[in-house]
Amino acid sequence: MALETFSHSKPLTLGVELELQIVSTHDYDLTPSAADLLRLVGRRSLPGSVVPEISDSMIELSTGICRDHADALAQLGEIRDALVDCADKLNIALCGGGTHPFQDWSRRRIFNKPRFHQLSELYGYLSKQFTIFGQHVHIGCPSADQALWLLHGMSRFIPHLIALSASSPFVQGTDTRFHSARLNSVFAFPLSGRAPFVLTWDDFGVFFDKMTRTGVVASMKDFYWDIRPKPEFGTIELRVLDTPLTIEKAAALAGFAQCLARWLTLERPFQPEEDDYLPYTFNRFQACRFGLDGTFVDPKSGEHRLLRDDIQRTLARLEPHAAALRAEDALALLRAELAGDGNDAGWIRRVYEEERLLPEVVRQQTLRWAGRQQR
Amino acid sequence: MPAELAAFLDIRPWPPDPGVAFWAALALVAGALLGEAVRRGLGLPRIVGYSIVGSALGLVGLGIGDAGLAGTTRLIVDLALALLLFELGIRVNLRWLRANPALLATGIAESLFAGIAVYAALRWIGLDPNVALTCAVLAVCVSGAVVGRVASELEAAGQVTERMIVLTVLNTVAAVLTLKLVIGWLHVDQAGDWARAVAQPLYAFVGSVALAALLARLVAAVARRLELRDENAALLLLGLVVLALVGARVLNLSTLLVPLLAGVLLRNTTARPWVWPRHFGTAGGVLVLMLFVIVGSAWSVQALALGAAAAALLLLARGLAKAAAVLALAHWSGISQRQGLALSLALTPMGGSALVLLTDLQLSHPAFAPQVAPIMLSAIAFSELLGPLAVQWGLRLAGEQHPAAGRGG
Repeated sequence: MALETFSHSKPLTLGVELELQIVSTHDYDLTPSAADLLRLVGRRSLPGSVVPEISDSMIELSTGICRDHADALAQLGEIRDALVDCADKLNIALCGGGTHPFQDWSRRRIFNKPRFHQLSELYGYLSKQFTIFGQHVHIGCPSADQALWLLHGMSRFIPHLIALSASSPFVQGTDTRFHSARLNSVFAFPLSGRAPFVLTWDDFGVFFDKMTRTGVVASMKDFYWDIRPKPEFGTIELRVLDTPLTIEKAAALAGFAQCLARWLTLERPFQPEEDDYLPYTFNRFQACRFGLDGTFVDPKSGEHRLLRDDIQRTLARLEPHAAALRAEDALALLRAELAGDGNDAGWIRRVYEEERLLPEVVRQQTLRWAGRQQR
Repeated sequence: MPAELAAFLDIRPWPPDPGVAFWAALALVAGALLGEAVRRGLGLPRIVGYSIVGSALGLVGLGIGDAGLAGTTRLIVDLALALLLFELGIRVNLRWLRANPALLATGIAESLFAGIAVYAALRWIGLDPNVALTCAVLAVCVSGAVVGRVASELEAAGQVTERMIVLTVLNTVAAVLTLKLVIGWLHVDQAGDWARAVAQPLYAFVGSVALAALLARLVAAVARRLELRDENAALLLLGLVVLALVGARVLNLSTLLVPLLAGVLLRNTTARPWVWPRHFGTAGGVLVLMLFVIVGSAWSVQALALGAAAAALLLLARGLAKAAAVLALAHWSGISQRQGLALSLALTPMGGSALVLLTDLQLSHPAFAPQVAPIMLSAIAFSELLGPLAVQWGLRLAGEQHPAAGRGG
């Protein structure tokens, strides 16, 4: 199968996808109710879409194409309210978070759809360990070459996005000490990691042909990269974020990514190079493990600094772009988190510290997702 | 010679009289063995095995017979039901009924339809109105024991499981309260005793709610200080539930309503999720097995000869009426027709709760009860064997049985 042509999309438009957990309101474990929820949601007309995911205790919602942060927040709000309303009718609840803190992966059931059963067959326990929940952000690109340039430019900020969004400290009932334990599950997949360093769509086509000739991949869907081009939409897709606990945070992260994209595209503050990837996995590990307090190695200067500090600097550089994109509220929310309580992983740990009962932590997550409690 | 040897060895009395404990232990061993056999050999819920042991006891005349529950058997049934109903009550989220009024409507309609259909059917074959009325009320309730036990054994999760539990709680409450009214009506009808007719149901309801509220408060207080997943805390909870039950018996309150409402109150007055071992651990598990053996034995050949035909008609009318209500409201309440069918099947069991209600009737109206007993005992005997199968079938139809359930534990 040849590489698709890269569709044109309006530059810097946004799309947000969120994978959500469906939990029982009795014990707050994952519960297989995706089909019921989809049936009820299907009776309503909503922006974007709501579709099944591999396990039948998760669903994925996506917005339509959004102009800006406010648009993304409004669409997410509309979809969220509809989903929460339908969930109430079914006595189930939804929540964010990159992992379910205490679910037993061996108990998960695969959603009844041929592609999901094939994946389950291929990946064995990995597919069930893949009961993890991420946020994907699409950014519109006017051409394929610009998409690849932006993709490699954005790679510098993968640790930033990981640390800001991290919301998966617990796995299988234990504290992993990671801020984003979810990404450890992603890294286990053979085709995870980073995209090859090519800056033109023609060169990317050569790489893709070589890969398909090996028979390892058949389509772009088989790559689980941190950022990948999505030729069908004419976008690049950021895939490292954990699903945040609130739609406000999800919209803020999308706004942050949009500002980054505008800054990189207009100012070209640095030229991406293959060598930028030398500290890439180190930086990514630091962000997953220590969150905002991880070490960040500047790919150009080799200087070490706290990730938190590099995020502060970046936010300062984004100021004018936030104004142009009307994303000030998005950056303000992230700034407040940096100055105050930190990311969602920290929130989850603090609630656990207080309550000492993981089902209670999940219950409070469901309240935050529904917008019923601000803590 | 053996008698002399026994005397020499001080074995008294001779021949040995092992008493109740022996038969109870034997029932336990037979139930556990047969339960495992039906599980492994036929893939059926273990309680089918327990009930078969009970049925066999009934067949050879060792069952509890037409006299109903009394003494130790009544105590065991009350205790086991209290645990199961408390666990069931705790899963009822009243906010759900508000968010989904169609579900509440389903609960009211299926109880009402079942009662009316059974009354009409029994009148149609010429039974006395009071007999038909009493049977109709008893037939409203679904066996919480079977429903809760099969669901947990199959590790079922999903809409049919949740709704089966909520509807069971609703129809059990409806049946208990209506039976109190019927008992009151019988006082009026047979003795013109209005004071008793009004005071007794009122006392039973208000008293049960008060005791349930007290139990819920105590459990909540314990839970604030202890880790409930801990075996010791579970024993403490078990103790509290048993105390409340004994209170209910002593004060002539409803032994069904108190644990059920306590569970519902606890669930809806506290936000924190409730997590503890199933049936409060091993002690509860033994009681539950005994419950199914006892209820399974609640029939006799004579009762069956008298009541089998009416019982079969009763079960048919009841099943159709419940299915009609559930299916009619399925779409509005947000489930598919297939799930509606599955839910209808899951509402088939009628056992422990009906037996306890029948016993209450036997105690308050000893002269009238024998007209009702053969029909109800036959119906309970049938549904005790068919009920678990219907629940399992329903949960499978809905795809809610866990694929790995029951293997190795």
